[in-house]
Amino acid sequence: MRFASFLPIPTYLAGQRAWSGNTVSMSSALLPKPQMRRLLARRMKFHLFGAFLVSLGCAALYKFGVAEPRKRAYAEFYKNYDPMKDFEAMRAAGVFESAPPK
Amino acid sequence: MANHSQLGFQDASSPIMEELVEFHDHALMVALAICSLVLYLLTLTLMEKLSSNTVDAQEVELIWTILPAIVLVLLALPSLQILYMMDEIDEPDLTLKAIGHQWYWTYEYTDFKDLSFDSYMTPTTDLPLGHFRLLEVDHRIVIPMESPIRVIITADDVLHSWAVPALGVKTDAIPGRLNQTSFITTRPGVFYGQCSEICGANHSYMPIVVESTPLKHFEAWSSLLSS
Repeated sequence: MRFASFLPIPTYLAGQRAWSGNTVSMSSALLPKPQMRRLLARRMKFHLFGAFLVSLGCAALYKFGVAEPRKRAYAEFYKNYDPMKDFEAMRAAGVFESAPPK
Repeated sequence: MANHSQLGFQDASSPIMEELVEFHDHALMVALAICSLVLYLLTLTLMEKLSSNTVDAQEVELIWTILPAIVLVLLALPSLQILYMMDEIDEPDLTLKAIGHQWYWTYEYTDFKDLSFDSYMTPTTDLPLGHFRLLEVDHRIVIPMESPIRVIITADDVLHSWAVPALGVKTDAIPGRLNQTSFITTRPGVFYGQCSEICGANHSYMPIVVESTPLKHFEAWSSLLSS
C-alpha cells in the first residue's frame, strides 16, 4: 500500500505484519536482521576455545620456562662431572667426618 | 639440606629422586593447566548475567568427562612407572639396618663386620661453628657412593620414619616389621634427613645424616670403627 511509506513506521518493520494484521511493506530494508538466537552458545564456544588456549599456554610456559631448563641443568651438571674431584674439594673444606682433610 | 625459604625440592642426589623431580614438574604443569582453565571460566561466569536458558548440554558433558579421564591417565602412567622403579632392588652392594628409637637411630652394618652404633642429634649448645642446627648428629652413616645400598628399617618402640629427601627415600619404621628400601647416590656429599612420623616429644630432634664417600674411604672408616 503506497500510503504506508508516509507513516512513521520504523524501517525494520518493513515486510512484517503490523498490529492491525495488515502487512506493512517498504521499498527496501535498511538494516539486516540481527542475530537473535544461539548468542550464548556462540559466546560459550568462543570462550571455551579461549580457556583451553590459555590453559595450554600456561602449561607450555611452565614446561619451557621451568621443567626443560631444570632437565638441561641436571644434564649439564653430570655431563663432565668428576666425583673424585668433587669429593677431594669437599674433603679439603672439612665437610666429611669420615674423611678429614689431609 | 634445604636453604632458608626454599620452596622446591633439594637437589636430587639419586636417580630415583631425579625421576621424582621430573614427575613433579609434569604433575605441576597439569595442575597449572587445570587451574588456569577453571580460573578463566570462573571469571567469565562471574562477569556475566545469569541465564537459565541452557537446558541441554550433552556435548560439553561428554567433553568434561572424557578429558579428565585422559588427564588422569597422563598422570598415572609416569607415576606407576616410577613406583615400580622404586621397588627394583637387585644386587645391593651393602645392606644397612636402621632402627628407630625414642629419640635416636641405631645403625647396623652386619654384612662384613659386626658394626653397630647409635646416632643422636648434636644439641645446639654443642654445635661447632658452621654446622646445621637440629640436623647434625654425633655419628653419621657412611656409605660408598655410586653403589646400590639396601636399607632395612624397623623401630624399637613407636612408629618412626627414615627419610632423606635428597635421595628420594622415606620409609616407615614400624615395631615388629622390617621395611626395605634402596638407593644409589650419584655423587659424594653429606645428605640430611629428619624423622618423618610423629613419635613423641622429641620427634623433631632425631635427624639422619648420610655421608657418601668413595669406596676406599668407606672401607677405611668401617675398619676404623670396627677395630
